[in-house]
Amino acid sequence: MRSLARPVRLDFVAPVHRAPLAGAGLCAVGLAAALALGLAFERKLAERSRLEAALAAVAPPRHRAPSPESLQGAAEAAAIERALHIPWTRLLAELEAASRDSTGSVSLLQVEPDPSKQLVRITAEVRTLPDALAYLERLQRSAVLRNPMLESHERRKDDPQHPLRIKLSAEWRT
Amino acid sequence: MSPLWRDEVAIYLAPRKLALVRRARGPRPRVVAEAEVAVAASASGDIGPVLARLAEVLAEPTWHGAAARAVVADHPWARYGIVPWPATRLDAAGRLAHARYVLGDTYGEAVAGWTVSLADTPPGRCYVACAMPATLRSALEDALAPARLALVSLQPRLIVAFNAWRHLLPADDTWFVSVDDGSLSAVLLRDGAWDRVHMARLSPDWSVELERLQAFVRLTRAAGAQGRMFVDAPAWMRRGATESAGLEWLEKGDGAPAHDLALLQRMYA
Repeated sequence: MRSLARPVRLDFVAPVHRAPLAGAGLCAVGLAAALALGLAFERKLAERSRLEAALAAVAPPRHRAPSPESLQGAAEAAAIERALHIPWTRLLAELEAASRDSTGSVSLLQVEPDPSKQLVRITAEVRTLPDALAYLERLQRSAVLRNPMLESHERRKDDPQHPLRIKLSAEWRT
Repeated sequence: MSPLWRDEVAIYLAPRKLALVRRARGPRPRVVAEAEVAVAASASGDIGPVLARLAEVLAEPTWHGAAARAVVADHPWARYGIVPWPATRLDAAGRLAHARYVLGDTYGEAVAGWTVSLADTPPGRCYVACAMPATLRSALEDALAPARLALVSLQPRLIVAFNAWRHLLPADDTWFVSVDDGSLSAVLLRDGAWDRVHMARLSPDWSVELERLQAFVRLTRAAGAQGRMFVDAPAWMRRGATESAGLEWLEKGDGAPAHDLALLQRMYA
């Protein structure tokens, strides 16, 4: 194609910097795209708000302040759970074996567990203090108990045979 | 009438004549009125008598309430210059000052106080600068105001004529000559852009001027240029010449509207 003279844009009143048609078209397309994007974003925001409102109406609250009743129930449940975790079978079997080893010199009176401390308190009667110490040594060798201690001993004057009542404590192994 | 579809009145101002064309816009633009009026010439090239005559013509309601696009004759109200792209980076004010310097260097003190306008040109290329009397615009707006005509464009004749005919002009080694009553403006095109511009006053004897123009064609070709010369001239001037003289007339035939009215109508083509 033959090349032609270019136009001369010179005017003393009208601006000579004219935007070409393609530029104006591109600008219009850009504006339309921005507008469409804005409308789509607004629609999504509205939809999200609507869904959140529907969800709030249907679902229970996620976090509720605990009531005193529920706290008490939880504590009781925890106590029951701890009590259920006491190894009664192994503990009683070990205490029975220790009594048998002492050849009848120890009479077991009371076994009282404290589940919160994994502690068992034992009340028993023996004839003499060496019998008590022998029983303590036997418990110290036990694989079920840990740190057995003699907490107190008392001679029973009210009993005709004057036995020695002892109280021991030990932790049980889990 | 919507401002987007506002009628336009194109006005041509020359020292000895006025031409007006009113064009209705809209889906089907059309010329609804046109007029050509003689003006008693002033010796000094003062635009006052022309504007006074314009004000009389604009008293007719035919021309009221429109946008006005004015075209002024090159002589005596426009001066052109080709300004080289500056070696250093200049802002708009710097480019304007540079153009004013180039115009002052060519035309002297006569254009010292004139308003200068620059053509919109890509960076790195020479650009066209034009100077016009500083008071012309305000005086013209004063003449248009009573007829509720808002001036939206003010251009010199050579720019309008060139843009109207440029689709017929080869881009290289081509002279475009615009001849009006009493003056001539010539542009040399190189690479599709203005390379040189000359202006000259013409004597009343057109046959002498035609011989000068033909001699100019011969001289430029003798200098090695292979170019052609395209001339935009009134019909009565064309009658005195032939194609063989080396000139190519842009407007053909005698039945066309008057030269200045045709120029105004061609603005919208």
